[in-house]
Amino acid sequence: MTVFHFFNCAILTFGPHAVYYSATPLSEYDTLGTSVKAALVYLGTALVKLVCLATFLKVSENDSFDPYQELLKALIGFIDVAGLYFALTQLTHRNISQNHKFQAVGLGWAFADSVLHRLAPLWVGARGLEFTWDYILQGIEANANLVLIISLAALGSLMWLRKNKPRTLIPIIYACAGIVATMPSITSYLRRGLGWHFPKVVGFELFTSLVMAIISWQLFAACQRPSA
Amino acid sequence: MGPRKAGEREMLESVYSMIALVFVLVACVELCDAATVVDVYRLIQYDISGVPFGSRLAALNHHAGSLHFAPGADLSRTVLIIPVRDLDISFVKEYITQRQPLGGLLFLLPQMFSFENRDDTKSSHVNQGELLKTVVAELEQILIHAKIPYPVYFAFEDDDIDAVLADVKRNDAIGQPATATTGGFKLVVSASEPKKLASPTITNIQGWLPGLKTDGDASQLPTIAIVASYDTFGAAPALSVGSDSNGSGIVALLEIARLFSILYSNPKTRGRYNLLFGLTSGGPYNYNGTQKWLRSFDQRLREGIDYAICLNSIGSWDNELWIHVSKPPENAYIKQIFEGFSNVAEELGFEVGLKHKKINISNPRVAWEHEQFSRLRVTAATLSELLTAPELLERTGGLVDSRHFVNETAIVRSVKLVAESLARHIYGHQGKNIQIFADDSVLAVNPSYIRSWLDLLSRTPRVAPFLSKNDPFIMALKKELEDHTNEVNVQHEVLDGMFTFYDSTKARLNIYQVASVTFDLLLLLVLGSYLIVLFSFLVITTRGLDDLISLFRRPPSRKVKTA
Repeated sequence: MTVFHFFNCAILTFGPHAVYYSATPLSEYDTLGTSVKAALVYLGTALVKLVCLATFLKVSENDSFDPYQELLKALIGFIDVAGLYFALTQLTHRNISQNHKFQAVGLGWAFADSVLHRLAPLWVGARGLEFTWDYILQGIEANANLVLIISLAALGSLMWLRKNKPRTLIPIIYACAGIVATMPSITSYLRRGLGWHFPKVVGFELFTSLVMAIISWQLFAACQRPSA
Repeated sequence: MGPRKAGEREMLESVYSMIALVFVLVACVELCDAATVVDVYRLIQYDISGVPFGSRLAALNHHAGSLHFAPGADLSRTVLIIPVRDLDISFVKEYITQRQPLGGLLFLLPQMFSFENRDDTKSSHVNQGELLKTVVAELEQILIHAKIPYPVYFAFEDDDIDAVLADVKRNDAIGQPATATTGGFKLVVSASEPKKLASPTITNIQGWLPGLKTDGDASQLPTIAIVASYDTFGAAPALSVGSDSNGSGIVALLEIARLFSILYSNPKTRGRYNLLFGLTSGGPYNYNGTQKWLRSFDQRLREGIDYAICLNSIGSWDNELWIHVSKPPENAYIKQIFEGFSNVAEELGFEVGLKHKKINISNPRVAWEHEQFSRLRVTAATLSELLTAPELLERTGGLVDSRHFVNETAIVRSVKLVAESLARHIYGHQGKNIQIFADDSVLAVNPSYIRSWLDLLSRTPRVAPFLSKNDPFIMALKKELEDHTNEVNVQHEVLDGMFTFYDSTKARLNIYQVASVTFDLLLLLVLGSYLIVLFSFLVITTRGLDDLISLFRRPPSRKVKTA
């Protein structure tokens, strides 16, 4: 029964990535290589981030919210954006359209993130006899994260790869990218600064990720139009 | 770009190997994330001449239930949690005698039976406590004498387990008993199959205080023996501390040894009697240890024993003690002992009665320790608060015999009684009103010594088969006797073959709140449909509805396309 529960949670956590890959044209253009590369870049970025966190952050004894430390953490969080930039622009990809490139990169990035952050707790926790909602919520969080990272990748590809975009949209694109990139810090603030419970935080994440996804979709479509 | 890439790859590979290592470690770690972990004590498992008694299983993995279960419910996969406070003894009796199938039993004992209990609210709960004591004693006898094919555990009430029980009760009340399909709580004790204890040993400890020899050998002097059996037997071996039976006897013996060691350390006050102190094991099993101990004496020593006083359960009486003998009261020695005791008792302000019980040699049951002496024609008597002889495995320091019910002043008075009467006998002051162990003298009975030893004994389970030869407790007794007497001998014997015991007396109970299989099935269904909806949504938005339909209509078409 507990292995069953683990299985369920794993489906919820990692299923959407697979579904996304197989349902969208990504599978038709065989972009798996791009995704794998993005995942590798993610691992490298995570390592750099860890080193930075270990170097610059103090270990707080209590779980309180320290604004200065959090700011530092948010800044370190921007290493993610740098990593994404590297994955989008510097890696040599097989000839695939920009349209698919950012999706493939985002997917690989999100999958690596899920594996790194969620697989181990899931393996340890969800197999135990004790039932909690945590792992189901964690799975939903993984879904929100996938949406968020693909949005970020989309905005990134707009910023760095697309040359002829409407001038009026540029500040909006940057603003949205900024919001999406600081989202981990925002949720961390909600959870620890305001003491929100896990379900509420997950609900917020789900909501914002959907909103940001719709916004970035619209932006992407708007940028697409003149070229089309 | 090339070398940089290679370096990166190398780094990533090291990360991978580290991640793999972490996973291997994680897989090895035993999971223990239960909502509650409780110390539980297993019902004893033993055989008498091959006939099984007690709980025959140790491992437990079933759902929790309360006494409020629906009538006619199948309980064969349910652990009933029964607080002893509202125990219906007839229910338990019926379930056990009719051999009804159960997943297991978990009895919750009130904190007052716990040896960690330190509250001094005795007076307010005395009535309730006494009532509870009789109920638990009855329960204990039922459990000990039945063969129970499922695990039975005891635990002490605390906030965690009370919360669990309240939850279980609520579920039961709304007619939703815990089974595999409805969730609830799962009680898990991971224990291996109980194993037979190989040849349990019993350990007797004896200490000598030699009398003053004027001329000739000291062993020519007559000997007085003071004996107490120190081991216990109870429904839960890990809880059988036996504060009264026979913790009180041990404490009294040690205090008497201490008092006489003061007297005997000075040649002027050393008596013309040897004193022999014996702490014997195997008490619950017809005083098997006493028998072995006496058999090990040589003839001369055995005949040199003037008389033996056995101390048994002297910790919770009010104003009457009993001297149990096997020789008729008209016997001159008995008369002498009894008169000595009753005179002192009168001065101390209570009564001592004489009880005569004949020995039936053909009956293997030995109800009192002095009967083992009497069988070897040594004059002996047992001092006890009990009026009648207990049955086999009754009053042997089980569950109810906790510190809570033992009165220190009773032990102090008993010590005074025994010490004073012995001293009068030794120094020949019979019938004279001389207080040797007067309250404010150097020879006064020391209540704090008694209290500290009683506290120690009330924390130490002493079921003989579970005590090893060099158990710290036995070592402590030996050391204490060495402090007070000159010659201490420890004798290891094998418990006679009638009894066989099984291990695993203590365990940790994990209480998990679990989701039901139905819930997981539903979750799987929901997740499956979510993924299907997501798939369809993505296909429609990125490739169009036609693609989705064609995906289902002509599967081979995709192959052609990709090729």
